Amino acid sequence: MKIKRYGHGATPNLKQRFLFWSALLLIGGGFLLSILSFWNTRRLLMADAMTKSEVILREVEAIRSYVKEELRPKMYELQGKNTFIIEAMSTTYISTRIMARFAESMPNYTYRRASLNPHNPGNMADPFEEEMLDWFEEDPNRLFWQGVVKKNGESFFISIIPEYFEASCIRCHGKAEDAPKELTERYGNDGGFRFKAGDLAGINSVAIPVSDSLREAWQGSFVLFAVTLSGTLLLLWLLMLLFQRLVIERLGAMLSLVVQKDTESKPVTGDELDVLQASLGSLRSYVRSARKGSSLEPNFIGNYIVSKPVAAGAMSWLYKGHIADSGEMVSLKIGFDETMQNPLYRSCYESELHFFKSLSHPCLPEVKERVDDVLVLTEVRGRNLFHFLGNGGLEYRFLLPVFSQLCDMVASFHAVGIVHHDLRPQVLMLDTQQQLSLIDMGLASSDQQQDPIVAAGLGPQGDMLYLAPEQIQGMRGDPRSDIYGIGLLLYLAATGHFPFSDTRKSARNWLRHKRQVESPRRYRPELPEALEQIILHALSFDINTRYQWVEDMWDELTAVLDAEPGISATP
Amino acid sequence: MRLMIFSDIHGNLEALQRVFADADKRNIHRSICLGDLMGYGPYPNECVELVKSRKNCRCLAGNHDVAALWDTSPYGMSKSAQDAILWTMEQLSDANKKYLGSLPDRIDLFNMTFVHANPYNPRGWRYVMDRKYALRSFAATSCQYLFIGHSHKPLVITRKNFFSIDLQAVSGPQKITVKAQRRHIVNCGSVGQPRDNNPDACYLIFDIRTNTLEYYRVPYDFKKTTQAIRLFELPSSTGRRLLKGT
Repeated sequence: MKIKRYGHGATPNLKQRFLFWSALLLIGGGFLLSILSFWNTRRLLMADAMTKSEVILREVEAIRSYVKEELRPKMYELQGKNTFIIEAMSTTYISTRIMARFAESMPNYTYRRASLNPHNPGNMADPFEEEMLDWFEEDPNRLFWQGVVKKNGESFFISIIPEYFEASCIRCHGKAEDAPKELTERYGNDGGFRFKAGDLAGINSVAIPVSDSLREAWQGSFVLFAVTLSGTLLLLWLLMLLFQRLVIERLGAMLSLVVQKDTESKPVTGDELDVLQASLGSLRSYVRSARKGSSLEPNFIGNYIVSKPVAAGAMSWLYKGHIADSGEMVSLKIGFDETMQNPLYRSCYESELHFFKSLSHPCLPEVKERVDDVLVLTEVRGRNLFHFLGNGGLEYRFLLPVFSQLCDMVASFHAVGIVHHDLRPQVLMLDTQQQLSLIDMGLASSDQQQDPIVAAGLGPQGDMLYLAPEQIQGMRGDPRSDIYGIGLLLYLAATGHFPFSDTRKSARNWLRHKRQVESPRRYRPELPEALEQIILHALSFDINTRYQWVEDMWDELTAVLDAEPGISATP
Repeated sequence: MRLMIFSDIHGNLEALQRVFADADKRNIHRSICLGDLMGYGPYPNECVELVKSRKNCRCLAGNHDVAALWDTSPYGMSKSAQDAILWTMEQLSDANKKYLGSLPDRIDLFNMTFVHANPYNPRGWRYVMDRKYALRSFAATSCQYLFIGHSHKPLVITRKNFFSIDLQAVSGPQKITVKAQRRHIVNCGSVGQPRDNNPDACYLIFDIRTNTLEYYRVPYDFKKTTQAIRLFELPSSTGRRLLKGT
């Protein structure tokens, strides 16, 4: 057998998924790293600017304090009380001049003394400073402000402290007529007066430009991102090479071995692992079949010649065969090898044989005889129901005859205390005359004998897709579980779709999904609303709100399907 | 869902056939026989066959069925019943014996329990016809509806509260709508040997959707049965009881 090399034009889902998620993680990680790097650089930058601006501000404050408390009193002492030498006695003038000289050697550090009513018009507050003056005036307890401000397209880190007038300042800032002559001669009588002690004199600020530093931080982060991206792409390429060699090609080889065209199953969607999972399920069944088939075909059991297997049940296979003498066709029920070897499953199989022998219904093949562990039944004709459901469901006109038989049969089971537990299309055969036949009762239980599955403490048995919610929770023996099964079959037959969007889930998720049954009319809008109500009622998650008796469902179904025969024949 | 409940055929094939014919016209879904297919009457095998072949029908074991298999001694019964059982034992086919041996003493269906005589001691065969045994039966089950036979007298017992019950004898055909929130013991009467002074065969249909008990009385040709009783030399007192319904 030629092994198909996956990854070269074959189903690339797993590879694509792996690539997508790896790329997403790595590129996302790189992006996150760059953002974090920028954020950290900015944080360090701001901390540095904060420290520097505060140092300068405190220094200016110290100068002003020195002038106010030492130099000015000394000048008064030496020159007399009426003297005012601006260059030696004005705190604002001295601090501004010192910082102007400082700025000559350190142009990046800008000191400003700003006021709304200054002596020197050059100290008039700009709009931002006006806002800050207002902010400090609102609450005298505010003693410091720091932040980043944009001015003329440049970002600055600015530290601001407020300054309040003291009694000693009022001589120059009180009434203009009391002010020293030197002051009024230099600045005039308009600005810087009419204050009293305690008023906000102005704000002292130090601005440090940070635009360049922030730009550098952005650039650094971008370079980091670019480097990470390049590394990521290289890493992805290497990972994909490895993944291709170590996983995809081997998985592809495995898939090529196990995937077979299965006309009776829904096409499996998903990646290679999903296909493999589904295929292994089929393979398991196939192996069972092959094991039995190869050993039996052609073979003799008693007077019967066994030919090919027709269908698989929960515990056994159904084979076609015929009587050697007369050629009369029969069906033979033969347990799986593992069923016959396991005492628990064997007891289920024995129960199944007992049910077939003890029950009588037109939908059940009659038992001709039992030969050792093989039950010889009358011939079961037709194909399993799944075959008819695959192409958009059953024809509407066939719903009533088929489901009447099914309801009648299930009612006859329930009437004698038997619950089937495993109603699914694979175990129901339909012939060209719309005669329905049930070929499997491997998971059935009777209220008059101990259920071996319950006694053994086994969990839910059967295909989760068809199990009622309470069965998934481990409950057995309630006839209403079969009503759920009929509801699901009716949904399938009426729409050709399953009621759940995805049919492959973990056991735990099934319970959640069984609550969300999609409307049958979504797939087939022309279905009568009453029929939809019947289906949804039968598929109710809560066992107590479901139909309690199959006969009730049957009566309503008959009334609806009889009343509306005019729906289009094909779905 | 309409459930037919019948009991105590006692080998009266004529009555059973008429009852089935009548019930089949009344849109029933399932049938439950509460036991005593045989005893007293002349057609035990035929009655078993008829019940066995009835679609969606389930059957419980009654005291006469059990006695016919020697699972309990017939010598505790009345003389006429004892003689009839001993005769029946000789008539029963092996297949029917096997069938009788497979019958359960009790069936539980959702909120309904079915027994032949009583639920607290099914093989003690005590009649539930008064307050004492009704309370004991209520205590022995948690179901809402307990269906019994055995006494051959149609009766509806309703538990009004913890201490109080209401006993309502049912005479003639009658429809009784019971309260869904209360618990009830329902005796479906007898097909083959009514003892409520009405010789017509009695059976019950329970309409679960409407909580309605529908008692039906079906006249049948009891002369045929009495003739057969005489023919098979069964106790003649049985024939007289059929005529009077006692």
